[in-house]
Amino acid sequence: MPAPRIRQAAALLGAALFTLTACGSGSGSAGEPEQVTLTYRLWDEQQKVGYEKVMAAFEKANPTIDVQIEMLPWDQYWTKLTADAVAGTAPDVFWMQPAAFPEYVAKGVLADLSGLKLDTAKYHKNVVESSSYQGKLYGVPKDWGIVGLLYNKDLFKKAGVEMPDELTWKPDGSGTLLETARKLTVDENGKHPDEAGFEPGKIETYGFGSWNHYQTQWMNWVVSNGGKLLDKPFGSYTFNDAASVEALQFGVDLVNKHHVAPPASQTNLPTGKMTEMFQAGKVAMFPANNALLPFVVPEANFEVGVALMPEGPQGRAVSLNGLSEVVYAKSEHPEEAMKLAAYLGTQEPQKLMADEGYVFPALDGLADGYVDYWKKTKNLDVTPFLEESKGTTFNLPIVNGFAGFETTLNQIFNEMYLGKLTPKQAADKAVAEGNASTE
Amino acid sequence: MTADVAAGEDGGATAVPARARRRGTGTWYAYLFIGPSLFGVFAFLLLPVLIVLGLSFFDWELLSEPTFAGLDNYRRLAGDGQAWHSLLVTVGYVLLCVPLQTGLALVLALLLNQRVKGVRFYRALFVVPWMATPIVLGLIWNWIFDPRDGAINSALALVGVTGPDWLSDPSWALPALALVNVWQYSGYNMLFFLAGLQGIPQELYDAAATDGATPAQRFFRLTLPLLNPTMFFVMVTNLIGAFQVFDTVFVMTDGGPSRSTAVLNFTIFGTAFREFDFGYASTLSMLLFAVILVVTLVQVRFFSKRTTYDLS
Repeated sequence: MPAPRIRQAAALLGAALFTLTACGSGSGSAGEPEQVTLTYRLWDEQQKVGYEKVMAAFEKANPTIDVQIEMLPWDQYWTKLTADAVAGTAPDVFWMQPAAFPEYVAKGVLADLSGLKLDTAKYHKNVVESSSYQGKLYGVPKDWGIVGLLYNKDLFKKAGVEMPDELTWKPDGSGTLLETARKLTVDENGKHPDEAGFEPGKIETYGFGSWNHYQTQWMNWVVSNGGKLLDKPFGSYTFNDAASVEALQFGVDLVNKHHVAPPASQTNLPTGKMTEMFQAGKVAMFPANNALLPFVVPEANFEVGVALMPEGPQGRAVSLNGLSEVVYAKSEHPEEAMKLAAYLGTQEPQKLMADEGYVFPALDGLADGYVDYWKKTKNLDVTPFLEESKGTTFNLPIVNGFAGFETTLNQIFNEMYLGKLTPKQAADKAVAEGNASTE
Repeated sequence: MTADVAAGEDGGATAVPARARRRGTGTWYAYLFIGPSLFGVFAFLLLPVLIVLGLSFFDWELLSEPTFAGLDNYRRLAGDGQAWHSLLVTVGYVLLCVPLQTGLALVLALLLNQRVKGVRFYRALFVVPWMATPIVLGLIWNWIFDPRDGAINSALALVGVTGPDWLSDPSWALPALALVNVWQYSGYNMLFFLAGLQGIPQELYDAAATDGATPAQRFFRLTLPLLNPTMFFVMVTNLIGAFQVFDTVFVMTDGGPSRSTAVLNFTIFGTAFREFDFGYASTLSMLLFAVILVVTLVQVRFFSKRTTYDLS
């Protein structure tokens, strides 16, 4: 085991030397309008292609500014960003998401963007909310992603089932969701869960993908049953109230009682098994964020459909998660960085990112470009995502320490989906640990 | 260093003996050659260790200014059930891994030390797992351990056995992770034993055979004692490696289920990079450091008491 470490050290040494020499040759040209280089960091390799065009346009309009795009994969992105913030070398402008925002904004890493005088009414309100702290804007709303119901049209056809106009659920098991899921769940002998002789241990295809994934699963059930995740932004967790527990029970029942979803021993985090199972045609309905489309649709060898998320007893409530462009508070070029952030919030770049099918932009009135892209290039009707966004939506918990609490939360709920903790026990435990971590 | 050079240059005039002069120059070059490694060891190993030691006395939430906290972190550690649980999990992992992977490596080495057809191919084959990246390994083993469609449980089902839910069963998750480690490192360790075995002169075995030693006697009285230096090296590096396990845990279980695989390194990572509590994470690192240090010193004592034979 020592050998890899040595190699790592050697690589680091090489990198360090390289950086040193690179720094040495930086200074030079004097006089003239000074050329400024900004670093822009993101974590999505697909969107990077779009942003290369966006930055080219920005550089053309601002000849004295060069923008260097840095792409880091998700896990590395946060580790590196933290290290950079400590070292004082964070990128000038970078992406931010709600789970990490509280930590960074409270510790003074992000610049106050009030000076940009952005008209926040023109952006999706969830994204504005998840980019605000103490009444001030700390991020330019970039885009939003929303959870919708992906389904396998081939499996529906094979089972002779039509996707109902409205999927509904209730804690007692009534509603069209469970009914539809039962028809699509088949064991090796062709039997359905409500038939005699059905063997839950030998299921071939599952009707619905219910699993421990907060963003696309149980948080949606909780809110659409009238439960509350948080008492207020930067407040305390409250998802152990009666309505929440009832909703959690519903999610678990789909797996362990109704047998229309794969067992938690297969799907529990940190695996990405549910996505794989949907792609392999083993799961018929699969709630997923629209950001997953570019990864799922090209891989699937069946026709993918998009439907509205099921409606709960209190109507439909869907997780809508926004990203924002933030400026580093200690940027060496604050003026140029602000200029870039402001530009990224305007019509031109947001429209480009929508029209090329990357994201639903945060700026209102441009979503059709995204819808058209998917219709034209992939023959996929993504309007249900858009329709949901006009109804009740909610943000992921915006609270200090969520990024640290996430692992604990997932572990406790893994036990719940396995049936080892009741939803009440799991929710009480998670809320207690969560509230201890918000300090 | 400069003194050495000076002595070398005017060595003729002051009549320094030729041998001493040569040794002086040799030392100078030696430093030059090990310089890059020495720099690496200092900058990327010793210096960070010292910094972490220092940080363990600070309260540092990463993005805020560090404040001196004295022994607060160590007091917190004394009463931190999760930290001690992590240490226990780590020790469990070490005990599962090290004997198995050392034993298996020795058996493999003995088998592959024969003159069999295709032996080179097998030697290479067993080393291949060692070259794989832990992250990719973790992903692949995730599939293998899948309770329904995974290779292991599918194979067990063929003989009528229902396999456990490996990674979501608190009593199986840690052994499953240990198994991956054993699989990955046994072949690599086999290389060292193979080298050790090939350093033992054939005459000794011939002599033993003449004296009527049984194969078992030859192994326990001859092979094993003569492999002592190799055994020491393999045991020390395996123990240290097992104590430092992180990547497979990170990819395969994220410390779960119910923290049953939350080894110390994983807890350190979570404390530092998820909870941003760098001061306390440094204290936890010092705990791991102390444990490894003690275990290694015990090994050094154990092995140094035994005789090693100069076979050169």
